[in-house]
Amino acid sequence: MASLDDPGEVREGFLCPLCLKDLQSFYQLQSHYEEEHSGEDRDVKGQIKSLVQKARKAKNRLLKREGDDRAESGTHGYESFSYGGVDPYMWEPQELGAMRSHLSDFKKHRAARIDHYVVEVNKLIIRLEKLTAFDRTNTESAKIRAIEKSVVPWVNDQDVPFCPDCGNKFSIRNRRHHCRLCGSIMCKKCMELISLPLANKLTSASKDSLSTHTSPSQSPSSVHGSRRGSISSVSSVSSVLDEKDDDRIRCCTHCKDTLLKREQQIDEKEHTPDIVKLYEKLRLCMEKVDQKAPEYIKMAASLNAGETTYSLEHASDLRVEVQKVYELIDALSKKILTLDVKQDPPPHPNTLRLQRMIRYSATLFVQEKLLGLMSLPTKEQFEELKKKRKQEIERKRILERQAALESQRRLEERRSDLASRATNGEVVPPRRGPASLRKAEGWLPLSEGQRQSEDPDPLLQQIHNITSFIRQARAAGRTDEVRTLQENLRQLQDEYDQQQTEKAIELSRRQAEEEDLQREQLQALRERERERERDQAASLHTRTRSLDFREIKPFQLEPGREPRTHLAHALDLGSSPAQSGTATKTSPPSLAPEPFRGWSGPPALGQEFLPQSIPTQRSEAPSLNPFDEEEDLASPSAEGTASPPAPEPSLGPPARLLREYNPFEEEEEEEAVAGNPFARPDSPAPNPFDQEDEHPPRTPASPPVPGNPFEEDSDGGREGAEPIEEELLLQQIDNIKAYIFDAKQCGRLDEVEVLTENLRELRRALATQKAGSD
Amino acid sequence: MNVVFAVKQYISKMIEDSGPGMKVLLMDKETTGIVSMVYTQSEILQKEVYLFERIDSQNREIMKHLKAICFLRPTKENVDYLIQELRRPKYSIYFIYFSNVISKSDVKSLAEADEQEVVAEVQEFYGDYIAVNPHLFSLNILGCCQGRNWDPVQLSRTTQGLTALLLSLKKCPMIRYQLSSEAAKRLAECVKQVITKEYELFEFRRTEVPPLLLILDRCDDAITPLLNQWTYQAMVHELLGINNNRIDLSRVPGISKDLREVVLSAENDEFYANNMYLNFAEIGSNIKNLMEDFQKKKPKEQQKLESIADMKAFVENYPQFKKMSGTVSKHVTVVGELSRLVSERNLLEVSEVEQELACQNDHSSALQNVKRLLQNPRVTEFDAARLVMLYALHYERHSSNSLPGLMMDLRNKGVSEKYRKLVSAVIEYGGKRVRGSDLFSPKDAVAITKQFLKGLKGVENVYTQHQPFLHETLDHLIKGKLKENLYPYLGPSTLRDRPQDIIVFIIGGATYEEALTVYNLNRTTPGVRIVLGGTTVHNTRRQLLVSLLPEMMPECCSGFWTAQPKQGNLSGYIKLNGATSPLASLQAFSTDQRGVGEEPWVLCLLL
Repeated sequence: MASLDDPGEVREGFLCPLCLKDLQSFYQLQSHYEEEHSGEDRDVKGQIKSLVQKARKAKNRLLKREGDDRAESGTHGYESFSYGGVDPYMWEPQELGAMRSHLSDFKKHRAARIDHYVVEVNKLIIRLEKLTAFDRTNTESAKIRAIEKSVVPWVNDQDVPFCPDCGNKFSIRNRRHHCRLCGSIMCKKCMELISLPLANKLTSASKDSLSTHTSPSQSPSSVHGSRRGSISSVSSVSSVLDEKDDDRIRCCTHCKDTLLKREQQIDEKEHTPDIVKLYEKLRLCMEKVDQKAPEYIKMAASLNAGETTYSLEHASDLRVEVQKVYELIDALSKKILTLDVKQDPPPHPNTLRLQRMIRYSATLFVQEKLLGLMSLPTKEQFEELKKKRKQEIERKRILERQAALESQRRLEERRSDLASRATNGEVVPPRRGPASLRKAEGWLPLSEGQRQSEDPDPLLQQIHNITSFIRQARAAGRTDEVRTLQENLRQLQDEYDQQQTEKAIELSRRQAEEEDLQREQLQALRERERERERDQAASLHTRTRSLDFREIKPFQLEPGREPRTHLAHALDLGSSPAQSGTATKTSPPSLAPEPFRGWSGPPALGQEFLPQSIPTQRSEAPSLNPFDEEEDLASPSAEGTASPPAPEPSLGPPARLLREYNPFEEEEEEEAVAGNPFARPDSPAPNPFDQEDEHPPRTPASPPVPGNPFEEDSDGGREGAEPIEEELLLQQIDNIKAYIFDAKQCGRLDEVEVLTENLRELRRALATQKAGSD
Repeated sequence: MNVVFAVKQYISKMIEDSGPGMKVLLMDKETTGIVSMVYTQSEILQKEVYLFERIDSQNREIMKHLKAICFLRPTKENVDYLIQELRRPKYSIYFIYFSNVISKSDVKSLAEADEQEVVAEVQEFYGDYIAVNPHLFSLNILGCCQGRNWDPVQLSRTTQGLTALLLSLKKCPMIRYQLSSEAAKRLAECVKQVITKEYELFEFRRTEVPPLLLILDRCDDAITPLLNQWTYQAMVHELLGINNNRIDLSRVPGISKDLREVVLSAENDEFYANNMYLNFAEIGSNIKNLMEDFQKKKPKEQQKLESIADMKAFVENYPQFKKMSGTVSKHVTVVGELSRLVSERNLLEVSEVEQELACQNDHSSALQNVKRLLQNPRVTEFDAARLVMLYALHYERHSSNSLPGLMMDLRNKGVSEKYRKLVSAVIEYGGKRVRGSDLFSPKDAVAITKQFLKGLKGVENVYTQHQPFLHETLDHLIKGKLKENLYPYLGPSTLRDRPQDIIVFIIGGATYEEALTVYNLNRTTPGVRIVLGGTTVHNTRRQLLVSLLPEMMPECCSGFWTAQPKQGNLSGYIKLNGATSPLASLQAFSTDQRGVGEEPWVLCLLL
């Protein structure tokens, strides 16, 4: 609880997110965390360990903790009230219900049945193969007959007086025919023929299938069975008189049926209908989208936030790629829809329905994913965004510093206030030095030098007071009093901890809201910017200029980087064990809050400047790592109290001064400008980066700006036609097309009209622009 | 314990197991309803299921490039259809799932029919009930009892449904039932029998406190289904009728074509999910907010989008706008219609008196109010009859009972014979003689004080004073105070601890008011999860016309009415029945028999 000796520091520093203790360094915090809270939420622990983790997670964590604490049913939509129980919608996920498989049973029964059937088919196929194995046309009929009889024993003519299929009596006119495949007898009417091509097809396919897959049911024993053919069977008179079958094989209806079924199976196996082919392509495309789209969205989001993690060109390439896939999906599904529609006879309604459904689902897919595909900023916008972002961060930092200063100032005030009050009553205790005991009965709140900092929080004050009482009591040797005081202190601290946690939760929520607001503002800014651009009307030439000019702007904001050096300092200091709490306190006032600014810095810059020991890869704009929460805990409250009543008087003039440099900044940026560290009179003096400011590392990117760049730009702004980025136009046209399609699909005709109107407008704009650029 | 999720998981598993490729879902009449309650069309399309067929449909084409997922109830007809199907397979491969226990002999005959080896899977997935809300299920059985006794067919269906529910939630419960009801006892025994027989299936991980199945009978509380409701879901069901999440708005004057029938599903309609348990007034303001939100997002038609910025803003908002527009128009229409009906039928006033009849014991004032309303020409004959029924149920044995006078009033009002008959029928069904417990006068001291206090405090909302009797029953059950002489355990063992997982089943149907009660109990009682089920989900008309008066059904209309009453619109139904247009006949076809109709999308597919 040593940290509570210096409550003034509680608001900023390496605070433990759970007990709000101030640990002087990241390492101490980590070890503290592992010792004290190892049993607690592992999620939180992970957060601390990987300080670099994304901002949102930290927010989620807090919200989640809140949810857990109160067993709340979640605050969604339009209602939010919580009782002790759980909304049925929130019942924890359950496992899949009971089920029972009958498959093995089923297979057992089926196998018994199927073996029989498969054996039959195989037998027939093998015989067929034998029957077609020789050259039928060039062989005598007698020889053919002999071979045929060797394949399967023919049934004796005398045994069959009637055709077994139709029941007609056999006679001279109604002669007997033998099935070459099973040897049975039927009349001519009931006889079927198998052409050689069919036979070949059947035999060759079965060879394939035999070689490829050996089903247990296709038993090789059938081969032996077929060899039982005997030549001894008596040839009937009728058979001798048969005309020679050159290119076909006689068989009975049963055998033919079996074989035809077989043929059908083979056909099905080999034949893939068009729809399947198209469909497979379609699915491939969809998979591709599923793969690429998230990647793109991540990029676009990052770029739209003005980050520089990804390159704009790469993203727009990806966009084009994804869009192409969408087009392909659309085309493919359209093709599926119209497949065979014009055929005569028209396909079965079910087929049409299938086609419609596939098309519909593809449409849904495109709608869902394409509409989620946000557009990219144009180059100019991107530059603008980058700048904005920097300023935003800058502004934030300034605000923080202001807040810190403000609180410092207020502390001063309070201290003097307290001092004056103290003079009224009792003697003011000396600022430094050992505790002095005035009265035997009471202990005075003891202030110690710098750290006697006052707290806006009465609880903290109280805690502070009690600590000093304890010390005094101890010095006076009153152990019993020390004990009660300590007890008292513990209770107070508990109370305070709890309060802080609640506050943290509240703040994180508020911050989330703020973030949203900021995003909205940013959006508004962007739009206004675009509008202005349009008005300015610059030629291509001036546009490049203006772009260059923007490149330069960041340098003016360069001082924004300086805090990072302090961060380095702070980290160094923090990690050195020699750095005690008091040391931090005695260091220049602005230094204490520094580390935090460093942490909240933009990732791109952060990477450059942060010490190696801390892997910083945060890419979210208003970064929210666990530390930031505490930082915010401090800053907004300070802001809230400090800024409204008295806007820093000292800031006014410098801000205006700066605006002279920056005539292009819109009013809405005033905040940022006002907060420019350049204007800060109290910014720490020794800054190794100051030099760099004059020779920015990125100069190569920008061509030397002659004379006054502002003039140029503004000149350019007044002439020329609308400089609408062609790319943007095309993007919008794409989007609108998708919407029109969607609206048509849903039959919202009025929307279609509006959209079409839009599309026309856009196209016109595109045309004029093209004409202009030519 | 989430029943919607349980069924959904089953369906997802089926689809997953069949692997990639185009699929057709083969269902029967009932499973179609079951599936459509948990999956929307677009959701299921995303999983490559493109066709939905009925196993009994003759008009199916051979499509060997499709995989078939069969989800069927294990009935004799279905097995026969399946055997035919397997003999001449229309699809390349079959994944067969039965929604309940199937006999070994059926499996054998199926196996023998599968000569072409097209079957890849035969499983039992116990999604054999209609999941309405996460905590509410129904079996869509109307008229389950004949008099006091079970219709044997329905008893076996109910047993199947209930055991399937237990299996899908993996619960092997202890069973309690309402002693006063023979039907409840019978059902309890049947369920127990199945559990004993299929003991292997019911072997689940033991929980500390075993789950509890409580079987009740509707006749114990005939009041609840008679009251007008004021929460969104209940109101929609009472006034418009919900059938498998489907609402028929075709009778709404001036309705646009695409809103004739709307789907209200909490699964994919956020507004509905958030508002289904709120009362009418709250919904009114919520819908106003919704509209305002919508107006903000709506692209302004008049305002020309002049700049690229405008356009981009529009384009970026469009997806949200699109999503919203469907919800907004749907709910605005539904709520609009509700409020129209409320004012047209004078329901606020009627409801107030209903609540008084149900909750208070002031005979003379109640009688006076009923008489007054009977004179009001705006009160429909149905509502009038309903008031008299409530009066009859409450003051059945009251010393100054003036039921005959009221009946005279009804006659004078011109209320038809049909409705007047209901009054005696309802007493027959749920009168004092039948009730196991007393609905109206509290017995124990606590309850009396409670009621007294309530009287002192005054009521916050006159329209929602009534608490279903189920609330008290469950409250006692949760506290471990439910009397064993009224609700005995089946079998020797009893529950020592307070129950945690409770499944309540009401023979004769649950109501949405009770669903709300259970919902609130779930939310307010930590550690307790309650699922409510019924043979159906009632509204007044359903209960009265079907449960109470089976003998009246043939009078009402032949054939179809027995099959499925469309809420309160007999003429519409009969017209449908006699219509010759293919659409109408198909609709009739899809809604025939025990009331498992299709979702509109399924219906469209059948066309």
